[in-house]
Amino acid sequence: MNYPVWDVPGIGAGLIVAIIAILHVLVSHIAVGGGAFLFLAELWARRQPDKDRIRAWLKRYVTFFLVYTTVFGAITGVGIWFSIQLASPEATSLLIHQFVFAWAIEWVAFLGELTVLYLYYYGWDSNSEPRQIFLAGAYFGIAWISLVVINGILTFMLTPGDWTLDNRDIAAGFLNPGYFSALSLRTMVMFLLAGLSAFVVAARVDDDQLKARIVRFASYWVLPAAVLIPVFSYLFWSRLPAFSVKLATDGVVGLAGGKLEVMSRAIWLAGLTGSLVLLGTLTFLLRPRALTLGAAIAMLGTAQIGIAGAEFFREMARKPYVVYGVLYSNSLWVRDATPAKLREPFLSRARWHPDPPALTRERGEWIYRLQCASCHTRDGYRSLTARTEQWTPEFGFQWLETMDANGVMPPFQGDAEDRAALVAYLLSLRGKTIDPTEIVRTAPPSPRAPSAEVKP
Amino acid sequence: MTDPIAPIPREALDALPPETTRLGRAGRALLSRYPVWPVIDYFRHKSVPQHRHSAWYSVGGIVLFFFAVQLVTGILLMVYYRPSQPWQSVQRIVNEVPYGNVVRSLHHWAANLMILAVFVHLFSTFFLKAYRPPREGTWLTGLGLLGLSMAFGFSGYLLPWDDLSFFATRVGISELEKAPVLGTWIADLARGGDDVTVDTIGRFYPLHVVVLPLLVMGLVSVHVLFVQLQGMSAPDRYYALPPERKKSVSFFGEYLFAEIPIWLLMGALLAFLATFFPRGLSPEADPTAPAPPGIKPEWYFLSQYQALKLFPGKLELVGMVLLGGIPMLAFALPFIDRAIPTNERGRTVTGLGFLALMGLVGMTIWGWWS
Repeated sequence: MNYPVWDVPGIGAGLIVAIIAILHVLVSHIAVGGGAFLFLAELWARRQPDKDRIRAWLKRYVTFFLVYTTVFGAITGVGIWFSIQLASPEATSLLIHQFVFAWAIEWVAFLGELTVLYLYYYGWDSNSEPRQIFLAGAYFGIAWISLVVINGILTFMLTPGDWTLDNRDIAAGFLNPGYFSALSLRTMVMFLLAGLSAFVVAARVDDDQLKARIVRFASYWVLPAAVLIPVFSYLFWSRLPAFSVKLATDGVVGLAGGKLEVMSRAIWLAGLTGSLVLLGTLTFLLRPRALTLGAAIAMLGTAQIGIAGAEFFREMARKPYVVYGVLYSNSLWVRDATPAKLREPFLSRARWHPDPPALTRERGEWIYRLQCASCHTRDGYRSLTARTEQWTPEFGFQWLETMDANGVMPPFQGDAEDRAALVAYLLSLRGKTIDPTEIVRTAPPSPRAPSAEVKP
Repeated sequence: MTDPIAPIPREALDALPPETTRLGRAGRALLSRYPVWPVIDYFRHKSVPQHRHSAWYSVGGIVLFFFAVQLVTGILLMVYYRPSQPWQSVQRIVNEVPYGNVVRSLHHWAANLMILAVFVHLFSTFFLKAYRPPREGTWLTGLGLLGLSMAFGFSGYLLPWDDLSFFATRVGISELEKAPVLGTWIADLARGGDDVTVDTIGRFYPLHVVVLPLLVMGLVSVHVLFVQLQGMSAPDRYYALPPERKKSVSFFGEYLFAEIPIWLLMGALLAFLATFFPRGLSPEADPTAPAPPGIKPEWYFLSQYQALKLFPGKLELVGMVLLGGIPMLAFALPFIDRAIPTNERGRTVTGLGFLALMGLVGMTIWGWWS
């Protein structure tokens, strides 16, 4: 930990990152898929006898597309950078340093995307037909390159493959085991969203016959994608780390007292909403006149909920890491998780914090901020007040020492005094006053469990 | 294979209107046996007015959608719920039954969203003045359905028998007990004694799974029948338009299909809530233990609960009478504001309705935070 902590009450830093990222996924996927849609719609429109009428509709689509993707895309894109470097500076630093050229390509691609889109939009009436078609195609090509790049970095975090801190093999990290299945999957999601966003613009077409044709054209984007998404999802699933699969599948009947774990529920949510999108699209195809603005937005909203489920699963599948097998969610490098290092006093290794006296509640609060707050909050999202409801000081003191034993939590960093201070702080959230010195004094001697060894 | 038309006299088939050919041979055979064509024909021509407030029509359908979800998830929960071991059986549903926690969470969220949608439907109907003659019956049955929905929520809340549900029910019934004249009798009848016990579950359970569903289904049928017979109400401005400018869409040909995506979105929203905000289960109720701090009724009772706090001590009776007057006024509304188009009294009623809405929302928020 080498950065001032970002202590967000109630929501937590991690959830803020997730909310911004999920919104950005929707916008960015429409931005890429919409590019392909524009290109093919341009070709399609120009072959129709009433091409001017269809291009007039396409112009409305482009206006929506341009405003929506550039404004919201830029805001949420910057928002991701702003939030991740506060929530997890260590991981952000790793990703920047490891993939510096990839980021450079991505930013150039983003600039290229914007330039071509503006040339396309503002040259709508003046560009020649071949140039306009070329610009639409070029926009999609450049936009898709940004996906090709980002996908490598995103999948690296979950399936880094042969990449290690020692070899730092960029190609192995970038073209990691999950890369191609995720790229195919995201490309399909982009086509699906392109079709759904075309519905939104088609809803305002008054001519029933034209509307029916546009609905049919847009359905060709949604329906094949909706069928292929489960196929590529399965391929992606087959590349997941074994422990992530275990977490998700055990959750159906067994994990944590048998509850259907949130990861399993997120998969279920994504699958269900995919089916709902399919049903809605078939409804539009059957009755094009039923395509109202509300109905079209409802389908886009349904897809957004499904994407939220899928992206949430992808994030949670990394538990307890930020970069799988490399960096824990509490900014602890896996290579540093040796029993000897873990037992060192924590605050002496962390930076950017005051130095409250040992065995005090205040010290416990700083340990909470530095080790827990990237995932938990005091009494909101993943509330520690709720999670420690049944705790006694002795239980908490012992639990912290082996909290990584089930593989879901990272190891605790710190000595016995740190643990006692954190227990005293966490119990104080429910109004209990505990003396950390007393916890240490009465605790039975307990050697650090073998689970402190690095998890695969 | 027997020709389905063969036993039907030719004259009977010839007597069917030409439009029935679209139903095919089997459909026409059925129609010649059961003469329901006038009903089908009536629905074929049913239309929905289109104007700037048409979107509010969707809310009624959304309520029905949530009610359907309640029926399905409720039946699934009944498979494992045991009124004799309420908490243990719910714990089993949550922890052992595959997808039990999701089904329970769906039931919980659909209940809350259904009541919320009923309130939205009530106020949209109110502000669009759809209660005025000749739609008094629709308004009155709608109010009845709001009461039944809240009774659904109240009776279902106790069934898990955890400490939250137990103490919230105890607080709720003790408020009821303070009502003049019949208060004590009604409270004793609801509890099955002086206090909330497992005998109360013996009453709430059949109420929740048999009596209330039957009542709601009956009243909803009447409510929807009224809407079908009288058509959907539209704002005064719509009625004032010349016929050629009155836009409408076919109910079964178009409107219903446009509603399907809205219901699908509601389904996705429910699944989202059940996924990320599953319903928890507190420790088993212990009637001898002190109530946990901050026990409150569910949000749809909070406004009344909070309003009653404004009338402490002996004034509480006054508060109850005043609060009791609000539903009475709501029932009397179609008989007070009858004018079309809106006159001075109508505008006053709208203003009072706005104040009531602000009061409801304000008191609920106040009750939530206090």
